[in-house]
Amino acid sequence: MTTDHEPSDSTTVAGESGEPRRRIGVYVCHCGGNISDYVDVAAVRDAVAGDAEVVHVETTLFACSDATQNDMIEMIESQHLDGLVVASCSPKLHVPTFRAVSRRAGLNPFEYTQVNIREQCSWVHSDDRAGATAKAIGLVRAGIAKTAHSVPLEPITVETTPSALVVGAGVAGMRAATGLADLGLRVYLIERAATLGGWVDRWGPMYPNGADGHQLIERLREQVATRDAITVVTNAELVAKSGNFGNYDVDVRVMSDPPTTQRFRVGSIVVATGFDTYQPEVGEYGYGIDGVVTLAEFKELVDATPGPLRVGGRPVRTVTYIYCVGSRQPDGHQYCSRYCCAATVHASITVADHDADVAQYHLYRDIRTYGKLELLYQESRRRGSVYMKFPDDTPPAVRRDDAGHLVVRTTDTLTEGMAVDIPTDLVVLVTGMVPRENHDLTSLLKLPVGGDGFYNEIHPKLRPVETVVDGVLIAGTCQGPKNSFESVASGLAAVAQSGATLLKGVAELDPLVVNVDQDRCTWCGACQEVCPYGAIDRIVCDGREVATVNALSCKGCGGCAAFCANEAIELLGSTTAQIESMIDGMLEGSARDEELMV
Amino acid sequence: MKYDALVVGGGIAGMESSLKLADMGYHVLLVEREASVGGRMILLSKVFPTLDCASCISGPKMSSTVNHPNITNLTYSEVEGIERREDGTFRATVRQKAKFVDWAACTGCQDCEVACTVAVPDQFNYDLVPRRAAYIAFPQAVPKKAVIERAGTSPCTDTCPAGIKAHGYVSLIRSGKYEEAFQLVLDATPLVGTLGRACYAPCEDECTRGDLEGTLPIRRLKRFVADRHYDQFAGPGLEVAAPTGYRVAVVGSGPAGLTAAFQLARRGHGVTIFEEAPEPGGFLRYALPEYRLPRDVVAHDIANVTALGVTIVTNTRVEDLAVLKDQGFDAVLIAAGTQRAIRLGVAGEHLSGVMSGLDFLRAVRQGTPPDLSGRRVVVVGGGNVAMDAARTARRLGARETTVAYRRSRDQMPAHHVEAVDAEREGVAFQLLVAPVEVLGDDRGAVSALRCTVMRLGDADASGRRRPEPTSREITLDCDVVIAALGLVPETDAFEGQVDRDAGGELGVDPTTLQSRVPYVFAAGDVVSGASDITRAVGQGRRAAHMIDRWLHGEPLDGFAALDDRVAVVDKTTVLARQQSFTHRESVAVANVFSSAPHDFSEVERPLSESDALAGASRCLDCGVCSECQECVTACPADAIHLDAHDEVVTVDVDTVVVSTGYRLFAADHKPEYGYGVYANVITATQMDRLLAPTRPYNTVLRPSDGKVPERIAYVSCTGSRDTTVDNPLCSKICCMYSIKQNQLIMGALPLADVTTHYMDMRAAGKRYDEFYEQAKAMGANYVKGRVAAIAEKEDGNLILTYEDIENGGVLTDTEYDLVVLAVGVQPNRDAEHLFVNDVLRLDEFHYVDEVAPDLNPGETAIPGVFVAGASSGAKDIVDSILHAGAAVAQAAAHLERSRTGVTREEVMS
Repeated sequence: MTTDHEPSDSTTVAGESGEPRRRIGVYVCHCGGNISDYVDVAAVRDAVAGDAEVVHVETTLFACSDATQNDMIEMIESQHLDGLVVASCSPKLHVPTFRAVSRRAGLNPFEYTQVNIREQCSWVHSDDRAGATAKAIGLVRAGIAKTAHSVPLEPITVETTPSALVVGAGVAGMRAATGLADLGLRVYLIERAATLGGWVDRWGPMYPNGADGHQLIERLREQVATRDAITVVTNAELVAKSGNFGNYDVDVRVMSDPPTTQRFRVGSIVVATGFDTYQPEVGEYGYGIDGVVTLAEFKELVDATPGPLRVGGRPVRTVTYIYCVGSRQPDGHQYCSRYCCAATVHASITVADHDADVAQYHLYRDIRTYGKLELLYQESRRRGSVYMKFPDDTPPAVRRDDAGHLVVRTTDTLTEGMAVDIPTDLVVLVTGMVPRENHDLTSLLKLPVGGDGFYNEIHPKLRPVETVVDGVLIAGTCQGPKNSFESVASGLAAVAQSGATLLKGVAELDPLVVNVDQDRCTWCGACQEVCPYGAIDRIVCDGREVATVNALSCKGCGGCAAFCANEAIELLGSTTAQIESMIDGMLEGSARDEELMV
Repeated sequence: MKYDALVVGGGIAGMESSLKLADMGYHVLLVEREASVGGRMILLSKVFPTLDCASCISGPKMSSTVNHPNITNLTYSEVEGIERREDGTFRATVRQKAKFVDWAACTGCQDCEVACTVAVPDQFNYDLVPRRAAYIAFPQAVPKKAVIERAGTSPCTDTCPAGIKAHGYVSLIRSGKYEEAFQLVLDATPLVGTLGRACYAPCEDECTRGDLEGTLPIRRLKRFVADRHYDQFAGPGLEVAAPTGYRVAVVGSGPAGLTAAFQLARRGHGVTIFEEAPEPGGFLRYALPEYRLPRDVVAHDIANVTALGVTIVTNTRVEDLAVLKDQGFDAVLIAAGTQRAIRLGVAGEHLSGVMSGLDFLRAVRQGTPPDLSGRRVVVVGGGNVAMDAARTARRLGARETTVAYRRSRDQMPAHHVEAVDAEREGVAFQLLVAPVEVLGDDRGAVSALRCTVMRLGDADASGRRRPEPTSREITLDCDVVIAALGLVPETDAFEGQVDRDAGGELGVDPTTLQSRVPYVFAAGDVVSGASDITRAVGQGRRAAHMIDRWLHGEPLDGFAALDDRVAVVDKTTVLARQQSFTHRESVAVANVFSSAPHDFSEVERPLSESDALAGASRCLDCGVCSECQECVTACPADAIHLDAHDEVVTVDVDTVVVSTGYRLFAADHKPEYGYGVYANVITATQMDRLLAPTRPYNTVLRPSDGKVPERIAYVSCTGSRDTTVDNPLCSKICCMYSIKQNQLIMGALPLADVTTHYMDMRAAGKRYDEFYEQAKAMGANYVKGRVAAIAEKEDGNLILTYEDIENGGVLTDTEYDLVVLAVGVQPNRDAEHLFVNDVLRLDEFHYVDEVAPDLNPGETAIPGVFVAGASSGAKDIVDSILHAGAAVAQAAAHLERSRTGVTREEVMS
């Protein structure tokens, strides 16, 4: 049969020698042009069209589109398909999509196989269309072979615990805690320090609307205190985590005298461990010289000084800000710290509020007062702040001159690149955020860390609070620099995500775990040794010592299967038969291609 | 209907909100204005900083949204009003806009799109390319279903008294579907050729293009397809319904009678027309002069009727309706027209040489014209019959022909074209004169017409200034006086059978056209008095519809089934729809007039095919859908119903998430950048389409000449950080999407130079600055300084003027092939009209106000209402996702509170 949708084109093949063993449908995706620009998708289709188990094969503009999904469902139902192969992009992207399609069509989701001909073919072989196509054919054949050996599997269903652990009681963590409690979840809010509050608690008026940080935290402390569902543990650290998604047992050590450990069972873990401020080296932009301070130090100074600023007992008549200290540095932290432009601009307005006559010079690269924060930038300029852009490769220099006066030399791009000496009373190094040193927690939770040192989310665009560890979420600045209200939004997003997984009361886990054939097992212990998840136990069965697997702990990495000398361990979804047939399929593909080329 | 949550807007924030709430177990109603969820994200090429394909990552989210068991989707729907009730819950009214496609039946096959004859700018490609009026939003639409856009009935179609789909056949002609166009007219009336010539074309008076360069030649286009059909086909090519067994008698074979007979015959009824004259056609045959309506055209039109099995009995005058009933006719339609001429009513009317205009014209068409050669003719009257008589007299060799009319020229009831044409053919006008006596010579023949000179007094009931006699008189010497003072029905014979008024007009229900005698209907001029062919056709259609229903015992209504006109579209909307119209000259009228015409050959020249195509292509598609019916025919699922209507549903919800998104800055508000004037100045949203997987041209081309651009400039902050356009805010996304596009262009066009003119590069976000550095490393150029002005060169290239800040601040001109305006974000002010009895407070820039952004981002001034995404201010995708998460967390908390009965105050205290 042929479908009408341009540019898809399809063939349904009748079994040539009686009924085929399996009835597999194959979809080869153009991905717009992402694949078809470099892979001849029609050739891929034609290459597998005659395969014995392939009942239907077609190309499609977007396999993931709703329309194609519906076509697949119709095809699975009408052709009684018992296997589905989608050759498109990375499994990371669309395995949930096509499993859902399979489920809606009544096909067991684990009889569907994803073949990646985008990342593995078109994108990496954009200079070699024939080669990319040949590779795609081999991979699709392997996918078909794997599917032919697939068996129906059912997801592992676990009841989840309606509670959450929040690690870190800064503004994000505290707001997450109240949000979780408001959903009816039990919350354990743990904080390493003696009091709740984090950075924001130390600050006075904050941008964009001048809310007082300390007072905000006070309000949050009250809200935490009035919610019975929240258990607060201060001076505390997470020291152990066991169990599985939906039911983690966490051990919290309290630094009391003597230290105690409390164990909680939680359904999810929200990590909101915050940031550290960048600490300049002595000598970096004059840091260490009297009168040179970081942004954090400056904010504390401003907050603590109701009237005109004084340094060393002398009134401050001139403040010079140097932006991007410790941020956007080719040989240091390359990232932008996002919050510091607006924080500095806001601070300069506060300074002007206190003392209208103080001169303020802002030496910047780009002023990143995005969105409505732009109004602060305008206000700051209106109030007399002078902004001077310096070239990326010519940063300002801070020194004390012979007379002992603090002087900043900068190149002002806005004034024909003129070199300017600014005598100043105070230099503020606009320092950004750095990831907090949290090695123990990171390795305990197996949290992925990005190149910038902040925790990595699953997807930076659409899944910013989820991590690859099921049920472990990241909120606030531990994921990346944010201002206070962005951190709160992120904390609440983690609340929403926790609610979305915990309010139902049950969760489903992939059944792609290992299975021990206890007749073959002779218990050598090799599997237990290599398992990084502690999922393998030794039991006595019929008087013999054999291995057994905790399916909830097993991550399906397959390490044990490779080590098992007796081939007693199979990884469901990637059985030995499947792997071997995939290799055969791939070799068959290339053999045929060679024939074609000859 | 009851839901836990209403989410308004199905963009990325709305989808995220819906999915999270639904995953929590709440029942969500998601209302989306467009025909697909997905918002703006699905239209993007890739997203920063990951360069993920937008389709790949938002497509599955769209699919999940639509397929989630806890989400009810109302796409192509608008929230009309949300009322907050005393108990804190909400009642929302949602208008499900008529899709004109039954989505349960639609398979998304796109056959309707292919068949559709209307192209309008594609809003999903930001007007770069057209889409059809019948369309699927975009290739990855979810759900993938078609809608038909009907902005209203087009003015031409709306005004047609015959109910002919003028826009429809124009649109078909434009598409080269001439026979389909003929069939569309034929669907209303068999008189396609006649109306193509003799209709006074009220459609053309209403044509929106008439407000620009001049109307489309709508009538002549109809003639074009009629001539073509009659040239190529023997019959109408229509199917007739199975015989019903009913028989209908139609009295009179003029336009009303023929149309009614045709429509009744199509429905399977047995129809017999009784015609008093020797030939059928009524006034078409006997009153309209040959030079306006050739007899073979009338014959072709009548053949459309007889081909359906209608019998026309001529030379038969019907006087007794009961006899027809006795002969087995189940219903009778009287469509006898106006056969009696109003007399002059002055002395000397009996003289030889005085005749009525109707008698004169009839004699000419019957081949017995009076000898007018060398004679002086005065035609009394100012109507179309007077013009026809005068022009006919010219053709018969009259030495002088004068129209004598008692009012002024501009008050003449004749169509102005008729009067102008008469003048061109040498007819003189004697205005403001009223005849008082026909003077005769001693042989009893006309010698002159004595008239009173009139003057215009005060306005009368018709609004025209009333002519009043003066004391002066003039005498017009003449040999022939033709009285064309008007026509009235001649219905004396029906006295006592059906109601008649003093003027002889038959009395029927104006809607049903049924008389006091149930089986007797009447239509056309015999009911309305003298009107015109097109109105008579309209009456004939209505009568046939009503008779058909009456025969089947159905109530006499439902004319809407024949006439699916909706409210007429507003012309200003049409003119505003496109930013600029291509100037398109009218098709010239190529008629050749002689001041001494000597024969009756047709005056009007036909349109050539190229003129017809050019003329039809000038159509502005006012109503968008032209009702050409092509989609109806093409749809394999019979899913298209052009008579569909909006439906309004009411839903009760406990919480509302407003995610109505943002609007883009309209770049033509920065005239110094020339958007909409310079072809090669486009917006960045358009560039994103050029780079998308479903890109319209499959590569990046510049609009003016399709050249692959080599030097491309980006102009940042177009409409942002700019008090001259009242937007001091930064739009947050433009820097980053520009950097993204810079990279994609360097991939797509490796030889192109890409330069971004920026103020501050706001790459603030996770991995954003690294992304910026990556673009620089790839070779993208970044020049600091706002662009002051853009000028266009003759070759379409553009000169950017700016202060080159990083190079000493020199005022610099740089030439580019293509300029991309990084347009900013504006609030979508639709949000402020959502609530009817409460105020959704906005901030000073008209974004939805967040009352406590520090701790409760997304919380609005109305308890239980939350805002997600860019409705509250410019946000990129990830910030919209986080913001939606915040809104959801609080909406869910609100739902939990309302379930447990704990108020917010108790919780907060």
